[in-house]
Amino acid sequence: MRVSSAGYLVKQGVTGVWKNRMMSFASFCIMLVSLMLVGISILAGINISRIISGIEAQNEIFVVLKPEVTQADIDKLYVEFNNISNVTDVTFYSKDQAWADMIADMTQQEREAMQYGNGDNPLPDTFRVKIADLEIMDITSSQLTTFDMVESIQSPESFATALISLRNVAALITSAVVIALMIICLVIISNTTRTSVHARRKEINIMKYVGATNSFIRIPFFIEGMLIGILAAIGALILTRFAYIELYNVITEQLQGLQMMGSKPLYSFSSISTYVTIAYLAAGTVIGALGTTISAGKYLKV
Amino acid sequence: MVEFKDVSVTYSSGVDALDGINLRINDGDFAFIVGSNGAGKSTLIKLLLKEIDATSGTVLVNGYNLRKIRRRKVSMLRRTIGVVFQDFRLIPTMTVYENIAFVLRVIDAPKKYIKTRVPYVLELVGLSDKMKTYPEQLSGGEQQRVALARALVNDPKLIIADEPTGNIDPELSYDIVELLKGINECGTTVLMVTHEHNLVRYFGGRVISLENGSITFDEMVGGSDAGK
Repeated sequence: MRVSSAGYLVKQGVTGVWKNRMMSFASFCIMLVSLMLVGISILAGINISRIISGIEAQNEIFVVLKPEVTQADIDKLYVEFNNISNVTDVTFYSKDQAWADMIADMTQQEREAMQYGNGDNPLPDTFRVKIADLEIMDITSSQLTTFDMVESIQSPESFATALISLRNVAALITSAVVIALMIICLVIISNTTRTSVHARRKEINIMKYVGATNSFIRIPFFIEGMLIGILAAIGALILTRFAYIELYNVITEQLQGLQMMGSKPLYSFSSISTYVTIAYLAAGTVIGALGTTISAGKYLKV
Repeated sequence: MVEFKDVSVTYSSGVDALDGINLRINDGDFAFIVGSNGAGKSTLIKLLLKEIDATSGTVLVNGYNLRKIRRRKVSMLRRTIGVVFQDFRLIPTMTVYENIAFVLRVIDAPKKYIKTRVPYVLELVGLSDKMKTYPEQLSGGEQQRVALARALVNDPKLIIADEPTGNIDPELSYDIVELLKGINECGTTVLMVTHEHNLVRYFGGRVISLENGSITFDEMVGGSDAGK
């Protein structure tokens, strides 16, 4: 194919957007709304997952040590706990520190009552162990109990189970919503592009009669669809950014309580904008180009 | 050259559109194909353009055996044929110039050639001043002349005119046939399907008559001015 012919086909694709502006606008709007709906659903899903994983990360196993434990044992245990694969963080909490904290938390009346005791510190030395995967908390707990100087383990397994269920349900609902929206949007987009191409079936028919090859007919449609897709992606990106920032501000304010429970904050738009831009542009380009080209293919069998 | 050898077409509905047709049209011939509605004229054209396949028999067009031609080569076959339809079939979003140039772009013709060839054929059909006009801004007769220009722009071996005068004023019909005759005189084979007997009587030439899917008449007829 000559360079001039290739240039002609590209030009036909670009001018086709304007020449068929009514149908182009309809496709643009449908794709914009679809991309936005699916995009915002996915963003909501990853943020819900982030909130839950933040809370999960705060789960700690308390490892109570035997009274006779020495500093050498503590140093050794610190290293060995850290070597367990599911462990993400190990903090030693000495009995002296625990005693001091307890006294500090007491009311004046309680402190006065304490003076009648013998003054001994009854609290044990402990480790606070944070873990990565809640689902294998029981296995990690068992591993921790195998050490000689470990007296007992306190792990919030029922809370962990509830969190896992919450995370799974949230993931399931989010995936279901995203998949349903994607299917609905693909059906609507496919219908719109089909209607758009259907309106030009005579044009395709004429091209076939004068000896145009299928690719010669398809290329302008491909470029036209791609351009509409890119424009819709840009539009959807601008609207998503605006909506996301607004929602981010409102939700962040509302979720302060959850953040105190250890929940991670929502992703800021600037931190995910690159991925969102790439995803929108890729989806817009592919759906636009393929949707139009496949629809045009239906009328090529003349 | 066009040749039909024992060609029959039966549609899936069971209708026999053509029944054992044998026909040969040599290069440079001009032939009218006449017949009433349902006689098989449209089926004949669809066969020539490889829009449909014959149920039996062989169709040869410009060196292509349509029974053996690959789907991919159909566009090559169509590039050797210029078609003029009753309803013009111009692309409404393209100017007159673009409608005609499109045919040359399809065959990957050089830009310089397109720039000289399109104005030339538009001059032949008397529409040099309508290059930048859109089809809807033209009269029926003018649109048909654009369609004619499009049909001959890539110098095809065969021009098929399917009821080219069906949608235009009777007076202009004679101009269209005159143009087709002129093209034929330059060596292009022309097949004109029509049911306007006045035109056939006026211009004369080879007349092929179809009735119920069979050829009932295929002879040379003398022309006269009587029908005009």
